[in-house]
Amino acid sequence: MAKPLRDLHDVELAALSAAGGRREFGELVRRHSPAVRGLLRRMGAQPALADDVAQDAFLLAFEKCAEFRGEGTFGAWIKRIAARLYLKRRSRDARYVAELESDEVAPSVDSVGRMDLDEALKGLTEAERLCVSLCHGAGLSHPEIATAINLPLGTVKSHVKRGLDKLRVRLEPGSVAHGSASHVG
Amino acid sequence: MSVDEFDPAIERLFARAPAFADSAQFEAGLAARLNKSSRFRTAALSVAGLVGGVIAVREVLSVDFNFAASSASAGAAPSAAQGLTMAGVDGGMAIQSLMERVGLTGLDLSSMGGMQMFWATAGVLVALLAAGVVKLSQQI
Repeated sequence: MAKPLRDLHDVELAALSAAGGRREFGELVRRHSPAVRGLLRRMGAQPALADDVAQDAFLLAFEKCAEFRGEGTFGAWIKRIAARLYLKRRSRDARYVAELESDEVAPSVDSVGRMDLDEALKGLTEAERLCVSLCHGAGLSHPEIATAINLPLGTVKSHVKRGLDKLRVRLEPGSVAHGSASHVG
Repeated sequence: MSVDEFDPAIERLFARAPAFADSAQFEAGLAARLNKSSRFRTAALSVAGLVGGVIAVREVLSVDFNFAASSASAGAAPSAAQGLTMAGVDGGMAIQSLMERVGLTGLDLSSMGGMQMFWATAGVLVALLAAGVVKLSQQI
């Protein structure tokens, strides 16, 4: 008797998808689409664009499923595809970047004065946010990021370091509450 | 939190996928796009197969015309045309035996000429090839 889809490993599902299995690919989408959509938003994509790029990434993954050999995880593979597609789209549409740069959202905090990652990322500059997300969310190395976004390697390293420093401060419990108090005072 | 323990912590935060209320809608949209691209591919391959088949048949027809035109002067050409005719007859006999096997004994193809039989066989083969390509594209 065939195993239920939820019991199959990603590698098995990818192999069945490569043979044209739509149901198996649907299971992969169910498992990984939240992570992909989340990553794209963390990289700075607006929700509609993030979902559009995420769908493009899954369509491409369905075409290229046979290329996934299971060396890494399927999640990491699809996130890299999505990140690269987003960067392509982003560089094609300069207007969108301008919108992002002017987009400021007041961060919200939880009951102990701590931000979640998505809120904390909003306090980073566009470049820092992108570099940190590509590095820690999509799993790209610094040289890969430098190539992908056409920046010098040293600049990418600086963005990642500065971004992580800011995140460290913002994600520290109580740090935001103290920061806010000093502003009010 | 020290610098050393921060990186694994942020990796874990990034690895935690947010929950989306509209996941079902996202999956349905993706399925629709997948179906649309599959239909488009099937249609494109069918059209390409049809166009290719028509071009192939036209090319073969022009070769046949050359045979006919040169048959008066060249000695080798009639034998080539004769070979084509024989191939048609052989194909026709193969189809006849296949039809007999599936119970269509009432149809007598022997009344068709050799060339007619050749074209009929070629047509059936082109159709089978096109159907095979479409089926294959759907599986891919």
